[in-house]
Parts: sequence; structure tokens; C-alpha cells
Amino acid sequence: MRSDKKGSQAGFLAPMYIFTLLFLIGPFVYMIILSFLTRAETWGVVNEFTFRNYTRILEPVYRSTVFNSLKLALDVTFLVILFGYPFGYFMAKLPPRKRGLMMLLLMIPFWTNSLMRLYGWIIIFRANGILDKLLMLLHLTEKPLKLLYSWPAVTVGMVYALLPFMILSVYSSVEKMDWTLVEASRDLGAGPAKAFLTVTLPLSMPGLLSGVILTFVPSVGLFFIADILGGNKIVLLGNVIQEQLMKVHDWPFAAALSVILMLMTSLMILLYRKLTGAAEMEGML
Amino acid sequence: MKKTVSLLLTLTLLLGLLAAGGVSACAEGPSGTLNLYTWAEMFDPDVLASFEKETGIRINYTNFDYDETMLAKLESAKGGDYDLVIADDYIIETVIQEGLAQKLDKDRLSNFGNINPVYQGQFYDPTDEYTVPYGAGVQTICYNPEAVDVAVTGYEDLWNEAFEDNLAITANYRVMIGMALKILGYSYNTNNVDELNEAAELLYRLAPNIRLIKDDFINDDLVSGEVAAAVMYTSQVTQAKLAAPSLEVVYPKEGLGFGIMGMFIPSAAPNADAAHAFIDFILRPEVSAQSYEWLGYYCTNKAADALISDDMKEFLVLPEEFRAEDMEMIGNISAEASERQAEIWTEFKSLCGQ
Repeated sequence: MRSDKKGSQAGFLAPMYIFTLLFLIGPFVYMIILSFLTRAETWGVVNEFTFRNYTRILEPVYRSTVFNSLKLALDVTFLVILFGYPFGYFMAKLPPRKRGLMMLLLMIPFWTNSLMRLYGWIIIFRANGILDKLLMLLHLTEKPLKLLYSWPAVTVGMVYALLPFMILSVYSSVEKMDWTLVEASRDLGAGPAKAFLTVTLPLSMPGLLSGVILTFVPSVGLFFIADILGGNKIVLLGNVIQEQLMKVHDWPFAAALSVILMLMTSLMILLYRKLTGAAEMEGML
Repeated sequence: MKKTVSLLLTLTLLLGLLAAGGVSACAEGPSGTLNLYTWAEMFDPDVLASFEKETGIRINYTNFDYDETMLAKLESAKGGDYDLVIADDYIIETVIQEGLAQKLDKDRLSNFGNINPVYQGQFYDPTDEYTVPYGAGVQTICYNPEAVDVAVTGYEDLWNEAFEDNLAITANYRVMIGMALKILGYSYNTNNVDELNEAAELLYRLAPNIRLIKDDFINDDLVSGEVAAAVMYTSQVTQAKLAAPSLEVVYPKEGLGFGIMGMFIPSAAPNADAAHAFIDFILRPEVSAQSYEWLGYYCTNKAADALISDDMKEFLVLPEEFRAEDMEMIGNISAEASERQAEIWTEFKSLCGQ
């Protein structure tokens, strides 16, 4: 959506607005209303206004869930930056042909269902699994380690699932960077480290930050990774919402939790816009 | 070539329309289509095929993942669209309360008397007017005696230190909090918050032993050696024992938590005749025996018990020493109690993850 073309294209855009209204704003408003209602005894809701769903989130159990989710999301984001930034950076500096090949290699795993790829991690991590066998073969460990169903297993799964988003964001940012600026800084006497910190890093910041959002936001809510690799013991905000909805049948509370999650997400995106001044995120394909 | 193909297609479509019209035209006895709505893999395909062959009724089998989805669909269809639904006991209670089920016409169910009375008159349908049970499950403990040096007799033994980080439990919080309630001698369905809090304290102490919480394929983790013991459902126990016969199955001395799956006909079912015919067909002893052997849940048809093959008997027929008063069903509880249980469960899970 470019604002200068908006007027002339109003007719063409109408279906999109209707779609957004119907399938995005509609459910969102419904969810907000739901979050202020009272649950019925066993099933459904009663039209009684209450703030209780929100005050309940402050109870220690749910507060610590929010806290744990954020902590995991931070850990994951940090690791994703650590691996993803250099990857994206060097990928952008490859000769074009190799770049295309790299991109292909990066995309191929996406053709497989993400659940399938998660089960792959189970095969690696489980007792007497591939990793255990390898470690025992090398005589590093004597008996099977209990690697699966733990925080580290969930962290690895999340980093694995979200890494490509960071790589692509950084890549698209670095790729269109004006390298003459780096050369100029070198000509003016900056060392490679200084040139990177003062020129390359700030110029690739939109990509990096967009990668951070694309990693941080989903990792609060990717409940199935926490379920499958964490053996249900790792409780994230996403897990609580899913459970309140499907098992406890407390729709208003689930809605309130979702509203909080969406507020957190919106805050992140707002922050991104403030920091970069960009209207759209980098690397969105 | 292209023309011939499209001509053929049109012809087949026309024929299909004619055939459909023909079937619905002759309304002698139950006919047409039976819209069966339940979980996937609930019936041996051979059973369904022989019903279709015998009656000429076509079965349209659609499935849901969760009981909740079924209830939501049934609500929006106002009890229509489906002719026969099979779901869990607690949700059937809500279905009946909302008037979404119709009373069975027992004159058309000649085999109604075959049902095992143990599974009748339960909370969700106290007078058996709406439902016919189709399979029951209990939660039992299944453990590997080679992995631990403990003789397990009841839930209490799972708190033993020998099971540290070695226990798998089902992800149903009513079942797991219920386990603690049973040890304390309370009901699964207590609405008393003090009793729930007492159970919570007990349950939290189990956290160091929990390796894994999940609903599906928990038997795989027991068989592969990921855990030494598991609290799981009948069908999973059957699977595990068939894969690893050395596993021990324990009926907890504190009592058994029963779950029954029931068949009911929605209030505005388009073809209730076909649904009655199907229920009666399934209630035949030989059809039941074949179905339960395939399904792996407890046989709820008394007349079929004798027909079940010897190697499956231990999984599908209640043990001799079973006493009906030891069993309690998990029913719906008050909103307050259910809220507290959800809180306890979330807290317990986070403790397990630490």
C-alpha cells in the first residue's frame, strides 16, 4: 500500500478492506468483547460484564507463565541473532550464483511440514537416540542423557524453526546496502571492526530488528514446539491459551490472555517503527 | 479425445444424480445415507462395509479431533446434519442438557439388552434414554518392572523416589488431579476447594518424577525406554502390552477412573432410522466383538465378552475381581472448581519443567 496510489485504486482495494474487516477486525472485536464476559457453568459464556479475566492474569501462576514465555523468547531471539546475523551477512556477500544456491538450501526444509521436522528432533534427542549413541560412541557419556523434554530441547527447536526468518531479514537488508559507504569509511581510516560497527551495523539495523520481531513474537506463542519437545512441562502463554480454550472451556479467560499477547506483539511492532522509521518490515517475502 | 472425456464426465455425474434420486425415492425401511460423526479410526472398516452391504445404507463418516469441536458444530447445526455421534461422557451430558439429543426408540433396538449394565445409568444419562455405550476406558498404571525395583500397587507408589524423572502421565488434568484426590479419599468430582488445595499440595510433590506429559502415543515412550512408568488409557495400555509383553499393568488400589464413549442421535438428525439400524447392528455380539478387538477399548457389550479372542481378553474385558463400586466417572464440576483445577494444573506443569 503506497499512499500516493491509494485514491485511484480505491475500487480495487475494496475487496481487501472487506476481507480485513470480516476476517481480522471482526474476530478481534469479538475476542475483546469475549474477554470481558463471564464463563458459564460448564460450557459457553454468560453476558455479564467483568474485569476478573484480566485480574486473574496477575495471579502468581499465570504471571510466572508470562514471565517464562518472555524469558524463553529472549533466549531464543538472542541465539537466533547470534547464528542468523552472520549467516545473513555472509550470504549477502556471496557471488550471485552461490547466493541463489544458498537461498534454495535455506528454503528446501520449508517444503516439509514443520511438525515433521520437529519429530526429527525427537529422534535426535530421545533416550538412546542419535545424539546419545554418538556421544556414547565417542566415550563422552556412559549412559543415555535425558535431553528430550527439557528447556534446552525447546530452545533448540524454537531456534531451529525461527532462524530462517532472521537470516532472510538480515540478508535482504545487507544485500541492498550501499557498499561504497563502507569503502569510504575505510578510506577515511576506520579499521574493519570500526567500519562494521559504525556503518554496516546501523545500515543493516532494519533487517536485524525485523528479524528480532519475526523471532520474538512467534516464540511467545509457538505452543506446539513447547508441547512436543518440552513434553508439556514447558508452559508458555500459547499453551495456557490453548488449554483454557480446549480443555477448561474458559473462553473469556483465554480471550483475555490472547488480548494481552496481542498487546505485547503490537507494542513490539510499534517500537520497531519508532526505532527504524520504516512502515513495513524488512525481509517479508 | 477431450470431448469424449467431458462427455463421459457429464454422463457419470448424471448417473450419480439419478442413483441418488433413486435411493431416496424408495423409503421402505431405513435407507439413504447415515451421517456418522466421531473421532477418526473408531470402526473396523470391515464392520462398516458389512453394514452397508446388509442394509444398503451408505455411511458418510466425518470426524472431529475434540469433543468440543463436535459440540460447537452440533450447536450451529441445531442438532441437525448428523445422524449418529459418538463422543465422551462429559460432553454428552452437556449435549443432552442443551436438548441436542433425541430419545432412543428402544423398540427398534432389539439388541439393547446386550449392553453390560456396569456401563449403564451413569451420570450423563441416568436413565439410559439417550445413549448406548460404545467402548470404555480406564486409567491404569503401566510400568516396566526391569527398570525399577518397586512393586506398584496403586497411585501412591508413583511418588516413590525410584521414579525420579522417569514417569509419563496423560495430559488430562481432571485425571491427574483426580489421582491425587483419590489417594486422599476424595471424589474426582469434588467442588470443595479445600479438598482441591490438599490434592494440589500432594500433586506438586510428584513434579520431580514427571518426565513427560502428553495425550497421544504415550505408550511409545514407555516401550522405547524413555520412561519407566506411565499413567495412561486403556487403548494405549493395549498397544504398549502388545509391543512389550513384559510390562506390568496395575489397576490402582485407590479406585478406577472410568470414561465411557457413548452413541447418541442428535435431536434433528436427518436419518434417525438409519442411526437406529446402525446402533442395533453394532450391538450384535459378533459385530461388537470384532469392533472392540479393533478399537482396543473395554467391551461394553456383555453378550460379546465371550466372543473376544483369548489374547485380547485381558485388555478388553474387565478383570474378575473388578467391583463396580471401585469405579467413579469423571463428570462436569462447578465453574469455580474447574477454574481452581486449571490453575493447579498450570502450576504443576511449570513445577515439572523446572
